[in-house]
Amino acid sequence: MTNRHRSALRAVAAAAAGLVVLAACGGPAPDRGGDGAVSGEISLLTPIFERADGAAVLEEQLAAFKQKYPGVTVKPDYTSYSKLNEKLTTSIASGQPYDVMLMGVGWIPPFAEKGVLADLQQDPAQLATRYYEGAVDPGVFQGKVYGLPIMMDTRIGIYRKDLFAQAGITEPPKNFAELREYGKRLTQRGPDGKLLVAGLDVLGIDPRQAFLTLLWAAGGELFNPDGSPAFNSPAGVKALQTMTDVIQTDRSEEVGWTVPNSPTGNVMAQGRAAMLVGHHNFWTAIEREAPDLIAQDKLGFFVIQDERPAIFQGGTLATVAAQSKAPAAAKALAEFLASEGPALAANQQRGNIPALKSLETSEFVQQNKAIQFAMQHFDAVHSEGGVPAWLDVRDKFKPAIESAMLGQKSPQQALDDLAAETSAALAGR
Amino acid sequence: MAAPAVAPPTARPAVGAHRRRRSLGGDRRRAAYLMLAPAVLHLAWWIGIPTVATFVLAFTRYDILAGTMSWAGLDNFVAIFRDPLWWKAIGNTVVYTFFTVPVAMAVAVVIAVLLNTKLRARAWYRTAVFMPHITATVAIALVWMWMFEPNIGLFNWVLSLFGVRGPAWTSDPAWAMTSVILMSVWKGIGLKMVIYLAALQGIPSDLYEAAEIDGAGPVRRFFAITLPLLGPATFFVLVISLIDSFQVFEQFYVLTPEGGPANATTVMTYEIYKSAFQRFDMSTASAQSMVLFAFLLVLTIVGRRFTGRDDVA
Repeated sequence: MTNRHRSALRAVAAAAAGLVVLAACGGPAPDRGGDGAVSGEISLLTPIFERADGAAVLEEQLAAFKQKYPGVTVKPDYTSYSKLNEKLTTSIASGQPYDVMLMGVGWIPPFAEKGVLADLQQDPAQLATRYYEGAVDPGVFQGKVYGLPIMMDTRIGIYRKDLFAQAGITEPPKNFAELREYGKRLTQRGPDGKLLVAGLDVLGIDPRQAFLTLLWAAGGELFNPDGSPAFNSPAGVKALQTMTDVIQTDRSEEVGWTVPNSPTGNVMAQGRAAMLVGHHNFWTAIEREAPDLIAQDKLGFFVIQDERPAIFQGGTLATVAAQSKAPAAAKALAEFLASEGPALAANQQRGNIPALKSLETSEFVQQNKAIQFAMQHFDAVHSEGGVPAWLDVRDKFKPAIESAMLGQKSPQQALDDLAAETSAALAGR
Repeated sequence: MAAPAVAPPTARPAVGAHRRRRSLGGDRRRAAYLMLAPAVLHLAWWIGIPTVATFVLAFTRYDILAGTMSWAGLDNFVAIFRDPLWWKAIGNTVVYTFFTVPVAMAVAVVIAVLLNTKLRARAWYRTAVFMPHITATVAIALVWMWMFEPNIGLFNWVLSLFGVRGPAWTSDPAWAMTSVILMSVWKGIGLKMVIYLAALQGIPSDLYEAAEIDGAGPVRRFFAITLPLLGPATFFVLVISLIDSFQVFEQFYVLTPEGGPANATTVMTYEIYKSAFQRFDMSTASAQSMVLFAFLLVLTIVGRRFTGRDDVA
C-alpha cells in the first residue's frame, strides 16, 4: 500500500471516528430557549392516532390548532408503541428530538431524569382539579410536571353475566380465593377433557400487566420508596402464585388458550372465556365482533381485589423536548392535545378513557360501560414505573412471570431472580 | 543490416500518442471513480461509519439519553458474557441455525433437482417455491400465527383429524422454537432453490451421459456429479444462509413477541434490539453486535474450509 493510500485511509478513519463521536455526543444540548413566540415549525411523534382513520382525526385537530396558532406548522410522525422507543432514541441521539412526544405511563421519569423533557411549568395540584389525579401523577417527576395526560387505559376484571348465572354465581369475586374458585366453576371441558371455555383467562394480556394488577390488589408495591425492588414481597408471591395456580392447579385455562393481541380475535366474543383480566377497550372489540353481547347486557366488570381494589393504569401523555427550537409552540401543542376537543377525539379513536374530568359526561363516555366503570373506580388505579430505571427493567418481567406460570420456577424463585436482575440493572446506572 | 520497415513492438510510442493514451487512461479512471463513487459513498456512510461506531461504542459507556460517554475497556464484553440471557440467546441462535440452514439447504437441493427435470407446469412450481422469499416476512408470520393458533388453527385441526392433540405452538416453550424453525425453513427454501437451479443448469450434460454409459444410476450420478459440481453454489448458499440465520429477527419478533414464552425464542439479534431500543443501552448493544460479527466471520471462514472452495467467493 502506498503512503498516499495510507494517508487517505487515515483521513477516512479519522473522519469516521469524528462522526462517531459527534453522533455519540448528540444527546441533549443546552436549551436553546426560543423567543417565547408561539410560532415556528414543530414535529410531533405520536403512537396514537393509528391507521388512516386515526391520521384523519389528528389532521382535523391540527387544523383546529392551526386556526388558533396560525404561526405554527406541525409535522406529525405516526408510529406505534412498539416502535416508539426506536424513534425516540434515534431522534435524541441525532440531536434533533421531536418537539412534542406522546409517551406512555412509566416513561416520564427515565426521560425527565436524563434532561430530555422540558418542565411544563405546571402545578400538579392545580392540574389535578381538571384531570383525574391518577392520570396526573405519571407525568410528574420530582415534583415537576413533564407530561400532560391525554388518555388513560386500564386493566380490569371482565366477565360474562350469562355464564356466571349458569354457574350459579351472582357476584363478581371479592378476593383471590373467590377469583380462583369462580374460575374453576366457570371452566367448561368436553367429555374428552378438552377445554371449551376458560373459566379465568390470565394469559390474554401482557403477563406483566396481569401480574402488576394482582400485585397491587394483594397489597404489594412495585418498588420501595428508595427505588429498590418490592415486587418479590409476600404480596407479590401471592399474586404470582395465584396466576400460576389458575394454570397449573385449577386448570381454569391452558397455556396457549389465549395470547396477547391474538390475530384470532376476542375470546369473550367467541365464547371461549367466562372471566378475564383484561383491557377496558375489550368493550370496543365486543361492539365490533359481538354486539349482541352488549345489546343483551351480557358483559359485566369488576375491580380485581384481595387486600385492596386495584386497577392497572396505562395511558398516553404529551411531553415537550427540552431541546425544542420552538418551545412555546411545542408547549402550546402539548396543552392543546390534552385539552377537551382533541383529547375526546383521540379517546374515541382508541376507545380509551379521557383523563379530563369534564369529559366524563360526554356522549362517548356515556355509551361505553367499560369506560364508565373504570372512571367510577379511578381511585383504585396504580401506575407502573415511577423510577428512572423502569425502562431498563420493564422487559425482564414477562419471561420471569412466564417461567413461574409454566412451572419452570416457583413464584418466589422467579420473583427473587427478577429482583436480583432489577437490582443489578439499577446499580449499573 | 537494413533498418526494419516498421518499428518493433517494444518501441516507445510517439510522445503525442503516449499523451493521448494517458489521457484516455485518465478519462477511464475518472469514469471508473465516478461510477464507483455512489457505491463507495453508500458503503462508507451506511456500512463503514456504523461499523466503526459500533466498534468504538462497544468499548465505552454511552448514555444515549444524557449524551455522555466514558471509556469502559472490556467491561461491556465481561458484562454480556456474565448475563445468562445472552448465553441463552446465543444457544437459541445456534439451535435455530442448526435446524434451518442444513435442513433448508438439503430440501432446496432436492427441489432444485426435481424442478430441473422436464415437468409440466415447471415454471409454476418454481414460482410457487420462490414466492415465500419475496413475500414480506411480517405478512407471512401473521398467516403462520393463524395456522399455529392452538384452538382454531390449521395445524392442530389437521392433527385432530388423526386423533392427535396439537401443542400450543408459539406459547409453549417446548414448541415455540420449532414453530419459528418450521416457518423459516419454508420461507428460506425459495432463494436457495433458485441458486441451486442456476448452478444445476451450468453442469455439462455430457458428464451425465458419460456416467450413464458407464452404468451409473441416478443416485450415483447425483452424489458423484451433481453434488460435487454444486460445490461453489453450496458454499455461497451456506454463507448467505448462515448470515441470514444469525441475523434473523422479523419472524421471531412477530411470531413469538418479546422473546417468546420464558425467553424460549430469544435470539442474539432480539437481545441486541432490546439492549439498544428498549433499555437504551447502546454500549451493550454494540458489544453484543461485535460478538455476532465475530460469529459470522468465523462461520464464513469455516464454511469456506468446509466446502474446500477457496477459488470462489
